[in-house]
Amino acid sequence: MKQHPEEQNIRQNFEPGKISKDGFLGGDTRHIHDIIREDQRTLSRLGLSREMVAQRLQWMIEEGKKGLEGVVDKGDFTIQVRWARGMVSCPFGESGLHHKLMVTVFLKKLTKEMKYTQLSVHMIAEHGFFGGKQSTYRLDPEKLGLLVELGKE
Amino acid sequence: MVLKIVFTVIVLAGINGVLASLLVIAERFFSNYGECKITINGNKRFTVTGGSTLLSTLNVRKIFLPSACGGKGTCGYCKCKVTDGAGPLLPTEEPLLTKEEIENRFRLACQLKVKQDIAIHIPDELFNIKEYKAEVTLIKDLTYDIKLIRLRLPDTDEIHFTAGQYIQLQTEPYEKVKEIAPRAYSIASPSSEKKHIDLMIRLIPEGICTTWVHCYLKEGVRVGFTGPMGDFRLHEGTGEIIMVAGGSGMAPMVSILDVIVREKIERKVTYFFGAVTKKDLFFMEEMAMFEREIPNFTFVPALSQPEPDDDWKGEVGLITIPLGRYLKSIDASVAQAYMCGSPGMIKACANILNANGISNDRIYYDPFA
Repeated sequence: MKQHPEEQNIRQNFEPGKISKDGFLGGDTRHIHDIIREDQRTLSRLGLSREMVAQRLQWMIEEGKKGLEGVVDKGDFTIQVRWARGMVSCPFGESGLHHKLMVTVFLKKLTKEMKYTQLSVHMIAEHGFFGGKQSTYRLDPEKLGLLVELGKE
Repeated sequence: MVLKIVFTVIVLAGINGVLASLLVIAERFFSNYGECKITINGNKRFTVTGGSTLLSTLNVRKIFLPSACGGKGTCGYCKCKVTDGAGPLLPTEEPLLTKEEIENRFRLACQLKVKQDIAIHIPDELFNIKEYKAEVTLIKDLTYDIKLIRLRLPDTDEIHFTAGQYIQLQTEPYEKVKEIAPRAYSIASPSSEKKHIDLMIRLIPEGICTTWVHCYLKEGVRVGFTGPMGDFRLHEGTGEIIMVAGGSGMAPMVSILDVIVREKIERKVTYFFGAVTKKDLFFMEEMAMFEREIPNFTFVPALSQPEPDDDWKGEVGLITIPLGRYLKSIDASVAQAYMCGSPGMIKACANILNANGISNDRIYYDPFA
């Protein structure tokens, strides 16, 4: 289906070199709406919502910030938040900027790392966008069930 | 049947062509605003052909308003006061202007088109911002993820800046990055040095500019930058100077320390440098030199998570800990604090400073935002 020029402009924002070096699609050729729709189906199947996921991810950012770039140990997992200078706009094109925060969550029992950014949280919360396949900061909804449970008392 | 389809397609294509032509003609006719006079601060005047945004119109005249988004209307940095000729507020401007700014006639220069005579007011220091082309004469590793680069200006050019200010470095295209991307970096070199500037640049994963600097930039190439910008600087006073900055946040502090040396400022200075492990430390010799040259200067590095191999004997913990402990030992009633780093670090340290008698009017910072 032919894309509206505005949609084409937005698609370009997701490509490498526009907002980040490697972009947000990782070579995924699907329409952005299809990426969102399929991830939403996965979330629904797992009984999760994008709001729930975004809230948890943001909580981790706030906990990680307390370490002032050091590693914060939360028992079953650690969080490290690194903060770079400058702000970044959302590829979906709305006004407003987001801090350049890079988050690394290390799950000790699984010896697995999950990485995301402040912008990731915004895109999940506002647009349901988790990143294209193989994109650097994609959070696979299939693997988020455990993340959402982390740190809950 | 086939002929009918072909005929319909031809007719539709023809209509599209006519409509497109009409649009081009209409755009040329209606967006030709003729000559427009721009008056800046009541005394600088020039005439331009209208139709472009105020931001790009000023850029052509080598007047650079700050912009982090390249004129896309997402950062709000290019706001300026328009006292006449602005027209109605645009929907694209509203989200980035406060109620007070709107009442005071601030507008976003990247959204506002020059369609008639217009009068604006901008801070005088913006006239000092210029475009430069410089040669990269030094690229040096400071740590595993921070490089120092030196940019030397041609013989015919000089830069005049205040210690503490920053410039916007422009990347060149590489790999899949096709556009120039401007990024802000504080100047680390002495302000008395007019022929070159030093920058401290930390590699950020996925960073467009930092990847270019760390992986592609070579000595001998020419790069572009605009500046100087910013109002972070040393303020007059008699009280102690407390500095807090880690990593590449050290850049403006080094420039300010040089001013303290050159101007023989006799105030006590204590610089708290927060890092995670020993491999994050750098410029230790330079700080030792400042300790020799400034009678009352102490450099206090603190590692929040030293590794066993670091064999670290200095301060341990988040930088807020030695900072808080020190503040309790001094009379902070006239002390000033200078900070450069992430908003998170600045907020955490500001709380400690406030709790120990340094009010916000004596706290100056350059947030990494």
